[in-house]
Amino acid sequence: MKMNTETALKWIAEVFNESPGGITPETNREDIPEWDSLGVLTLMADLDEKFDILLTADQMGAMTKVNDILEVLQQHQKLSPAN
Amino acid sequence: MRAEKFISPDEDYFEDHFPGFPVVPGVLLTEMMGQAAGKSLDAEKVPRGKSMLAKIKSAVFREWVRPGSTVELLAEIKSSRPEFATASCQAKVQGKVVASAELFLTFVPINDFSPAYRDVILEEYLLKHPSSGK
Repeated sequence: MKMNTETALKWIAEVFNESPGGITPETNREDIPEWDSLGVLTLMADLDEKFDILLTADQMGAMTKVNDILEVLQQHQKLSPAN
Repeated sequence: MRAEKFISPDEDYFEDHFPGFPVVPGVLLTEMMGQAAGKSLDAEKVPRGKSMLAKIKSAVFREWVRPGSTVELLAEIKSSRPEFATASCQAKVQGKVVASAELFLTFVPINDFSPAYRDVILEEYLLKHPSSGK
């Protein structure tokens, strides 16, 4: 299943309980209140369940902004190229 | 995983929940389901810590659970990873689903527990079922 960046951002916003238009690829982790330790686990679980992407805690810890999540989706060919 | 819990009519929470209409609080039913899932995960004997309920993804309470009921708790582990697990759980009384929940669990390092801590229920279960777990 591939999705475009807009859909991916909506999914990420849902993971972190943010409003759909509330984040951009440049949004930093510290600006998302629910991107805490539980948020990291929730993201890991969603990546696993929805995309079959399994990351380690270290890989998750290295992510500092939303674009890092998009890059993971890109690397696993889950993100459509930009229009 | 299947577990059972008898709901004693003497439970103190019935006094307030609710006066004249004693029923088991939904949060306690959820905790029971979470603990059933947790025992199932801990029985896997993966060295990742003790399972703890971290998030209630969804919970539905279909029927009241009255004093004197025996609640059957069913937990199906949907995913079990080093850092997290998910479970689909049900609570039944006399074969009827009274509650269900989708739960997200994480693991607390065993060193965070008191040195005297023991999971007696799990130990007894594993003694009787030595082939359980990985």
